Amino acid sequence: MTEAAPGRVLLEMKGIGKTFPGVKALEGVHLSIREGQVHALLGENGAGKSTLIKILSGAYTRDEGEIYFDGELVDVRTPADAERLGISTIYQEFNLAPNMTIAENIFLGHLPTKGGRIDWAAVRTRSRELLDSLNVNLSVDTLTGTLSVAQQQMVEIAKALNRNTRILVMDEPSAVLSEKDIEKLFAVVRRLQASGIGIIYISHRLKEIFELADEVTVLKDGRYVATRSVAEVDMDDLVKLMIGRNLEDIYPKREGEPGEVVLSVSHLAQTHLARDVSFDLRAGEIVGFAGITGSGRTEAVRVVFGADKATAGEMTLFGKPYSPRSPKDAIRHGVALVTEDRKRQGLLLKLQVYFNMTVSGLDRLRKGGVLQLKDEQKLVRKWIKDLRIKTPGPDFMVVNMSGGNQQKVVLARWLSLGIKVFILDEPTRGIDVGSKAEIYQIMADLADQGIAIIMISSELPEVLGMSDRVMVMREGRIVKELSREEASEEVVMQYAVGHAEAVAG
Amino acid sequence: MSSVQSPVTEPVGSKTLMDNPIVKAIRSSPLFGSVAALLLVSIFFAFTARNFLSANTFSLILQQVMVVGVMAIGQTLVIITTGIDLSCGMVMGLSGLLTAGLAVQTGLNPWLALILGVGVAVAFGALNGSLVTGIGLPAFIVTLGTMNIAWALKRIYSTSTITLTEAQAPLKFLGTPIKAGGMELPPPGIVLMLLAYVVAWFMMKYTAAGRSVYAVGDNVEAARLAGLNTKRILLGVYTVAGLCYGIAALLQIARTGVGDPNAGESTNGNMDAITAVVIGGTSLFGGRGSMVGTLVGVLIVGVLRTGLQLMGVQPTYQVLVTGVLVIAAVSVDQLTHRK
Repeated sequence: MTEAAPGRVLLEMKGIGKTFPGVKALEGVHLSIREGQVHALLGENGAGKSTLIKILSGAYTRDEGEIYFDGELVDVRTPADAERLGISTIYQEFNLAPNMTIAENIFLGHLPTKGGRIDWAAVRTRSRELLDSLNVNLSVDTLTGTLSVAQQQMVEIAKALNRNTRILVMDEPSAVLSEKDIEKLFAVVRRLQASGIGIIYISHRLKEIFELADEVTVLKDGRYVATRSVAEVDMDDLVKLMIGRNLEDIYPKREGEPGEVVLSVSHLAQTHLARDVSFDLRAGEIVGFAGITGSGRTEAVRVVFGADKATAGEMTLFGKPYSPRSPKDAIRHGVALVTEDRKRQGLLLKLQVYFNMTVSGLDRLRKGGVLQLKDEQKLVRKWIKDLRIKTPGPDFMVVNMSGGNQQKVVLARWLSLGIKVFILDEPTRGIDVGSKAEIYQIMADLADQGIAIIMISSELPEVLGMSDRVMVMREGRIVKELSREEASEEVVMQYAVGHAEAVAG
Repeated sequence: MSSVQSPVTEPVGSKTLMDNPIVKAIRSSPLFGSVAALLLVSIFFAFTARNFLSANTFSLILQQVMVVGVMAIGQTLVIITTGIDLSCGMVMGLSGLLTAGLAVQTGLNPWLALILGVGVAVAFGALNGSLVTGIGLPAFIVTLGTMNIAWALKRIYSTSTITLTEAQAPLKFLGTPIKAGGMELPPPGIVLMLLAYVVAWFMMKYTAAGRSVYAVGDNVEAARLAGLNTKRILLGVYTVAGLCYGIAALLQIARTGVGDPNAGESTNGNMDAITAVVIGGTSLFGGRGSMVGTLVGVLIVGVLRTGLQLMGVQPTYQVLVTGVLVIAAVSVDQLTHRK
């Protein structure tokens, strides 16, 4: 928390409303940002955060309400309008040209000219200054396609600063970053704040809000709930404002004992990424896979799902040798994978809810080769209801849904297939607290029904809250198996980064 | 900054025709644009081209579009999977020329010639599909190659037209108008084309295969991870497309009565199938499109060609117009896609 003196009010959004066909996305929403303020925007998926910032950035036009900038009534109808006002938005998906250099990206569309020719010297000098101001030690001639996600984010910020930004909107900037990179990001945000820029910060991670924000505005179901000074609230208050329930209740309690070994993996390897992975998975248990990014967790489970070929090792499923030739083959054996990248690998984004739900089980909906569309509708409506998926109907395109609802669509796809081994890779990434709790409950119910679950997660509270056993991976190997009782954030982290052995000798 | 300041006093709830639920449903239909275009083009020719509004003209349009119509079914499948098949016209031409040649010059049984001729088109489709899935080459490059190969094979086989005779009556049946009690009914090929559309529409809507085509078109990796055999699906798409070109070839020789070495080239509709598919609302970005839309697109191209003919416009200029049309249609696709 920064005790910055409250600056002038820069931006005020009053009574903002927006309707999409079939959905009232926003109604009567207020937001007020001061100079040098970090203002967190909080709410579950579908609460309207994205719609609000898209209105502010000119991507959508509002149906109701007024926007004041510097005290004057303004009309933001296009991204160009927003840019003229000094409103920049950094979306989760970056908007960089991968085959251009950092300098070219920073000046894309704004290249300065001298005597009719592009003034490359000025471009490079100014880019250097911007990178220096962000503490980024990269050559301005580096192609952005070769940068890490964190570095690309910094280029996006530099791009925004180059346009005399006065309001910077950051849509879940930390979701894609490692702990270390998040620290760097925070340092940058604080520096921008000190220079008088107003920052709208969207995040699902409540911890970050207490670390970074001055004020927080909470939205729920497209409506304004409250604006609070961060100093005056605690985490429970915020969760209650968002979902109306307490944080402790988020991980469901389970009683059942694990059953027979379902899946047995021994000395599995996949290129150099997963080197030696051995474990047993029992019916009705949830095994959490912890480890830092790149420790080989995803690579290992992709082999179990038949998405990649093993380079060594053996598996058995229900005691029989198992080596799936393809995902199709794995699914036939009752193994399913919820991928970590929902948008690129999990969903058919531009197709409908019903399509995504039934695409893997079409043979179950056939009679004499003909799809029974009515049965399909019934099945889909049942899942929408059972999983409480927020959608105007089965024909809605999934690209327009929030992360939590999208993930539920993916879950519904597999749940209707009678899966025996369920692998979930980062099942709650980019998903709000409310939907998270629902997804945890679904996982717990499945385990109680005897389904064996592997959960990969980079969020330690989630690993500890959900797992019966924890496997810690590092550099392609399982370095430690911990029971529920043994596992704590410290112990898991120590094994994940390699300190534990050093300590134990 | 003053340019962005304007009073925000637009009316919010005013009832207009556009708010009518029926109007809204029609406007939001993916077919709205193409059906509207078909009506506009038809109205235009009704006023400008002599004899446009007659049963004869209507029958003529259908006869002219049946070849492109069947080709467009295959092309729709390919384009839905984010591919494109440049070889379609040439493969159709080769297939037709071979069928005629094998029957007339080699003297094979017309039915055997037909099977071999269509078989060549299917083989070309399978070749396209194998290269796209097996080696992972872009469809554009693969079919650019097979387009040229088919063109060359056609020229190597014959540079002169091969006229069908009474001995090849079965090959002419589809293109011959049926005389019944003094009335002249349109040729059975039209029924075959419409039947092909019904089958294709049914496949896309009511079978797992059709669904798989859309899934692969939306995101091939996500489709694979959803348990679809994406390679087999793509191979199937290109092969079925080849079959469509083969059937189109039969309609072509039946309608004209000759195996024509120029068939399927620019002035004869090599690109008309692609134009029709795109005008019909199938997205070049994949995953989106419909057979009904393609049929509408085919009719637009047919109405345009026939209308321009009736106005006395040279074939060269007809090609020019369809060129402009395809760019316009792709632009609309691009703009709506971005939204």
